[in-house]
Amino acid sequence: MPITTTRRQLLAGSAAALALPAFARAQGAIKPRLTAISQWSAGSDGAAITALGKKFEEKGGVWQHSPVPGFTTEMMNKLRAQIMAGDPPACSQLKGPEIAAWSKIAPTVDLDAVVAAAGYEKVVAPDLAKLHKPGGKWIALPLQIYSTNMLFLSKRAMDKAKADKVPVTWAEFNDLAEKMKAGGVPYPIANGGTRPDDGQKFEAALAGISPAAYRAAIMNLDKKALEGPEIKDAFVQVRKIADWMDPNVGAQHFSTNLKRFVEGDMGMMIMGGWAQGVLRNAGFKFEDFMIAPGPSDNSKPVFLLNADAFIFWQRKEADLQAGQTLMAQLVMDPAIQTMYSQITGSIPVRTDVDLSGEGWSDGQRRTAAALKDAIASNQAVLSLAHNMAQENGMTAAMIDVITEYVKNKTIKPEQAAIRLAEAVESSR
Amino acid sequence: MTIAVSTTPGRPAASDWVRRLPEYLTIWVPLLMSAAHLIAFTLWTIWISFTPSTLVPVSGWVGLRNYSAVAASRNWQIALDNLLLFGSAFVLLSLASGLILAILLDQRIRGENLLRSIFLYPLAVSFVVTGTVWSWLLNPGLGIQKLVRDLGWISFRFDWLIDRDMAIWTIVIAAIWQSSGFAMALFLAGLRSVDADLIKAAQIDGAGPIRMYRRVILPTLWPITITVIVIQLQFAISTFDLVRALTNGGPGIATQLPALVVYDLMFQRSLLGRGAAAAVLMLLILLAVLLPYAAWRYVQRRRAIHA
Repeated sequence: MPITTTRRQLLAGSAAALALPAFARAQGAIKPRLTAISQWSAGSDGAAITALGKKFEEKGGVWQHSPVPGFTTEMMNKLRAQIMAGDPPACSQLKGPEIAAWSKIAPTVDLDAVVAAAGYEKVVAPDLAKLHKPGGKWIALPLQIYSTNMLFLSKRAMDKAKADKVPVTWAEFNDLAEKMKAGGVPYPIANGGTRPDDGQKFEAALAGISPAAYRAAIMNLDKKALEGPEIKDAFVQVRKIADWMDPNVGAQHFSTNLKRFVEGDMGMMIMGGWAQGVLRNAGFKFEDFMIAPGPSDNSKPVFLLNADAFIFWQRKEADLQAGQTLMAQLVMDPAIQTMYSQITGSIPVRTDVDLSGEGWSDGQRRTAAALKDAIASNQAVLSLAHNMAQENGMTAAMIDVITEYVKNKTIKPEQAAIRLAEAVESSR
Repeated sequence: MTIAVSTTPGRPAASDWVRRLPEYLTIWVPLLMSAAHLIAFTLWTIWISFTPSTLVPVSGWVGLRNYSAVAASRNWQIALDNLLLFGSAFVLLSLASGLILAILLDQRIRGENLLRSIFLYPLAVSFVVTGTVWSWLLNPGLGIQKLVRDLGWISFRFDWLIDRDMAIWTIVIAAIWQSSGFAMALFLAGLRSVDADLIKAAQIDGAGPIRMYRRVILPTLWPITITVIVIQLQFAISTFDLVRALTNGGPGIATQLPALVVYDLMFQRSLLGRGAAAAVLMLLILLAVLLPYAAWRYVQRRRAIHA
């Protein structure tokens, strides 16, 4: 009997001893903690999010990031599993219309107060802001921006074509490609053969021909716009581009051909701003290539937006909630956005960040200027190929049509336009 | 008396039952567990295919809407056409190449063991590896075409990988490379088990080698042939990793196959309901192959008993 008593007392005593520090901590300031998942594990992406984590820790937080390497869809499978198990991360990578779709399957955090306190809404492109407040409330925050329709020009291919003027419209673009071909550049267009690659060619063509038609047809899925003449014109332009590409690339990644691009074996590349980082990482110099906004028939820059973002999932734990607030403040901070974009080669979401200083490249400055101009002329639109304009299912249905058209030259532009409209109808 | 009981098959004594308990446990427990697993997940998939599930499984009833959407999609139609072409070409050609290899190996040649291992070896390689290696070999800018051109035959063309009409044949080539060794092994076993008396009798009757194979040996192989056909067909229907590594459904969507469509719908497009519907359709295609085979086996067994 005395033994049990002793044991019970011992247990009670140790429980109290364990609980005491926790109690004391709860009384004082809560240490913010953040559980986060993203696909960013390696390269400049991994470096950037690690740097963000360091900043989070400097502010006294506990940073618990679990990267899921591979495609975004693999990160999503992990996120889905965690949500269904009732244990979502405090914060996860997610972008575009997927934010709205996923916010329906689990409760998210209302960020309105912290966004208002930072005065963030004024400095974000309106179309972009809309994506992050699906029910009228901010639940996610964009982190960095890329344009998917930057035009990269190979200096050596330009020399072969005896050209020095950067093409502004599609007509000028086509002229330059012809000149390159005549000057001995075997493939005036450098490309990969992946689905987003093909999608980017189409979105660049349509948005460059008519941003209004792009907005109506691709972003709003307006039936009349989808059957409009601009869609057919865009497919005509895509066929021209496809004819100038190297058919041998199969399903390769665009980066496979960067060496041939720099050497002047390939002339022009329509690619996202991230290609600058890839080129630089591969050891090529800024003198090897030029970067300009993609062709636009009304001569004002058209900006196809691709933005990475974080969505915040509701948690009951006080330390995670504090971590979410701290993370939100950091993501909106111009200094943090500067740090992040300088590592990855993107541009900041905030339109009020000054890019004239040290650490920014010419391409980034040009991209940021293009975004500002495009917003002013209402020509900043959301990328289809990179899942910004539509949810995954709709995007995939549209890209099916586009990628088949790029690879199958017996499909006529008008047929492709009809198929695109049909694909949209059957996926609604 | 007790001795007689314990040796009678079908009526084991109690002590015998206890002695064989571990045996029963090791066979039946895993068997029941995997059967339950298989059946439970099959039923679950069938249920999901009738719900409006997208990102996550949800309850609800949409009838056959998922099925009609899948059946009407271009991806699925292309996948079915490809399956028909790929399935028949792959089965026939792997059958033919396996048989030829087996007959050649059956000629009491030297180094048979080594050759047999070489032909069987591809079977030990993962399909992802096969697909990746063949994607390099068949890439016109890197592989066979470039090699032949570099050797001096400038106009040589072998660009099936990027030709949307021929790309499906690259999958046939890689699949045959991988699995004709398997058909060969089965045929070789069959050839070795042909009754020696039969062969001798044919020799005495003056049959030449070609006639001997055609009239005497090959007819005894047809049960093996049917087994090979069924095994290869079910492989063809569920082909996934090979295509994913070799063409990833491309160029464009020219080499889609049903399993690729299922994966795409479920995990890339987040359309769980439609993906489940496509998976159920795949199951039905499999059953269309396996049920006749089971019926045939049943008839065979009945005949053997009555004979």
